[in-house]
Amino acid sequence: MAQDPLQQTYDAIVVGSGATGGWAAKRLSEAGLKVALLEAGRAVTAREFTEHMPSFQLKYRNHSPEVMRTRPIQRQCYACMEYNYEWFVNDLENPYSTPADRPFTWQRLRVLGGRSLVWGRQSYRLSDVDFKAASRDGYDVDWPFSYTDLLPFYDIVENYVGISGAAEKNEMLPDGQFLPAMKMSCGEMRLRDSVQKNFGRTLTIGRTAIVTQPHNGRAPCHYCGPCERGCMTYSYFSSPFTTVKDALKTGNCTLITDAIVSHVDMNTSSNKAQGVTFVHRTTRETKQVRAKTVVLCAQALESTRILLNSATPDYATGLGNSSGLLGHYLMDHVVGGGASGTFEDLKTPPSANPPHRPNGVYLVRFRNTPKEGKHPHLLRGYGFQGGSMPEFNMDAQGIGADYKKAVKVGTYGVSLGAFGESLARFDNFCEIDTNLKDAWGIPALRISMAHGKNEADLMRDAGVTAAEMLEAAGAKNISLTTGTEMPGMAIHEVGTARMGNDPKKSVLNAFCQSHDVSNLLVTDGSGFVSSACQNPTLTMMAITVRACDQLINRFKRNEV
Amino acid sequence: MAIPVPEFIPLSEIPRQLSAALNRRDLIRAGLLAAAASALGPSFSLGQAVESGLTPAARGEDGAAFLTDPDWKPAFLNDHQNETLIVLSDVVIPATDTPGAKAALVNRYLDLLVSVQPSEFQQEFVAALKSIDTGSQAEFGKDFRDLAHEDQIWLLTAWAYPERSSHWTERNDPHTKPADLAQQHFHRLKALIAAAYYGSEIGQKELGWDGEITHGPYQGCEHQGPAHK
Repeated sequence: MAQDPLQQTYDAIVVGSGATGGWAAKRLSEAGLKVALLEAGRAVTAREFTEHMPSFQLKYRNHSPEVMRTRPIQRQCYACMEYNYEWFVNDLENPYSTPADRPFTWQRLRVLGGRSLVWGRQSYRLSDVDFKAASRDGYDVDWPFSYTDLLPFYDIVENYVGISGAAEKNEMLPDGQFLPAMKMSCGEMRLRDSVQKNFGRTLTIGRTAIVTQPHNGRAPCHYCGPCERGCMTYSYFSSPFTTVKDALKTGNCTLITDAIVSHVDMNTSSNKAQGVTFVHRTTRETKQVRAKTVVLCAQALESTRILLNSATPDYATGLGNSSGLLGHYLMDHVVGGGASGTFEDLKTPPSANPPHRPNGVYLVRFRNTPKEGKHPHLLRGYGFQGGSMPEFNMDAQGIGADYKKAVKVGTYGVSLGAFGESLARFDNFCEIDTNLKDAWGIPALRISMAHGKNEADLMRDAGVTAAEMLEAAGAKNISLTTGTEMPGMAIHEVGTARMGNDPKKSVLNAFCQSHDVSNLLVTDGSGFVSSACQNPTLTMMAITVRACDQLINRFKRNEV
Repeated sequence: MAIPVPEFIPLSEIPRQLSAALNRRDLIRAGLLAAAASALGPSFSLGQAVESGLTPAARGEDGAAFLTDPDWKPAFLNDHQNETLIVLSDVVIPATDTPGAKAALVNRYLDLLVSVQPSEFQQEFVAALKSIDTGSQAEFGKDFRDLAHEDQIWLLTAWAYPERSSHWTERNDPHTKPADLAQQHFHRLKALIAAAYYGSEIGQKELGWDGEITHGPYQGCEHQGPAHK
């Protein structure tokens, strides 16, 4: 008989089984450490994937009242659907609060794999323009490491995950280890050529965590389209079928699902973490797991919540919070600026039987680059995600047979939507709401964040530059948006336990280790010092591997 | 991709090419399941997958079955509203060489949809249907469903071709919307009818769907040089 998993002392507890937790479990268990991987939700298998189910088989065709009732916040995420809403948290069971004038949408999953099941899969490296941004423009502080330090770990992650993409030799967006790129449409080729010729800017096919050739036992993409509903060939990267699977295969990793971690348990005499306490999701029993180290990978806000809920007499404002910065510097990419139009002279009609490329194009940041120099009033910059494809035109004018015909003639659309850097600011933060608990009795968060003037200026600029680029490429019917969406909409929240070399000015060191508690690590997006404008998951995974390798070395040297 | 906030059924959700061959799909899935279960090791069992928390879709339920229930009754609409919607939808999207909105049971889907919406949405929907009759009464002294077919077309045609202002306008600019209230009502109904029709299996086939799941890989632009078409 196997030992009771709760009666052992592990080398490491990993909290969270998503993109970063999966990597931590894999890396540590493959190095021979005994790992307990705790996941707040249940296990997921391919049985419940719905990517090949037509939406006419959904009773409400994605307008289920059950989603409206139980996921009023989660449904703001494009990926939360009648197909898969049970993967997302039930908002009634998982409350949080915000000030009335500072709304924040917090979109999260509690199942094995977490958000890696439904993520957007766009995978971009940060560059030293990002890691050393403060040295360039004087705003805030640099990261405690450089691109060169992270580069080997980007390589490790990309080689394993499988990122399809194209090399561009653009210093803002370092090239990586790419599988064959997906192809561009005519409209995208035209836009790429035009922005290069007229503006000297780089547009490339999206770098996406989808394999385009057999890779580590996973089959290439079959272009069915909706990855966020699962993938029977595991072609897009999600942790349950890759990193977590590898971790379990070692025999060194014990998976404990339905374990909602409430706090880290401290041994106050040694000032070391000794494990975690969790509430079982279905039985509501409170249980403990013991380990020599604790690695939080629960997602920035959740990991921060666990630390805030782990206050002790020595750390009265939250575990590892001697700096007073825990929970502060919350960032989420600003979105909302962009433009769309049509290429009226591109005559390829839309097809009801196309290969669905689950990927778009990416236009690399061009504001405040070494090449273009300092912008007169904007700090940092934004990149665009977009695409151009023929589409059926349900908005066609008229009625009757003419209307049916016009729908099929379609339009050749083109669009660009910006993701802008969110500046780190102390007054964007989360804290414990002392009047609010979740369904398991765990104190909930109060999140207080608003985008500032620079974010608004970036989106206004992005709307105009997008329209200019579409116009130069020959698009018609151009419309632009210049506003900012509510924080949280980018689902790129980072920064609430920032890394740094100075324990007075940061929560974690450069290896994601708590300055205050040496056997406590946080390796999700919490440690980000700046948000940059690139999608963060690839960097989170690389940081996790770097932190885990450091931890393994500490184990080897008996320093833990 | 940018984060779209769906206001109504977004184009991307109009069902993609998908398999009518459900048996084949189930076979593929069964095979993969066995592989997944063994790959994930002893910590997993298939029993865990079905213990709780599966959507009806994930359980494989065909939610469209209610549409063809012989005992179907409206959940929200009264008989007059239902009949008006059937006639209206079939004038907007008639049978041509393919079936139209009536055959696609657009009224039944919309009845269900409206039945679960907030009351504000329901009131707007009822007001829009009523507005069609108001226009019909003003022009012809009859309710819309009782008009001759050519009069129905005449009435709707007046609303169906809005004037367009300059394309250099910001999204959601009020100037791009039809000014006339009856026209606004009609366009709201037309958008719902179109979404319900093209979201149905009949509508997908009208667009040319061949019933297959995948048509990949994506080949992209194959033109030489800048001569894209």
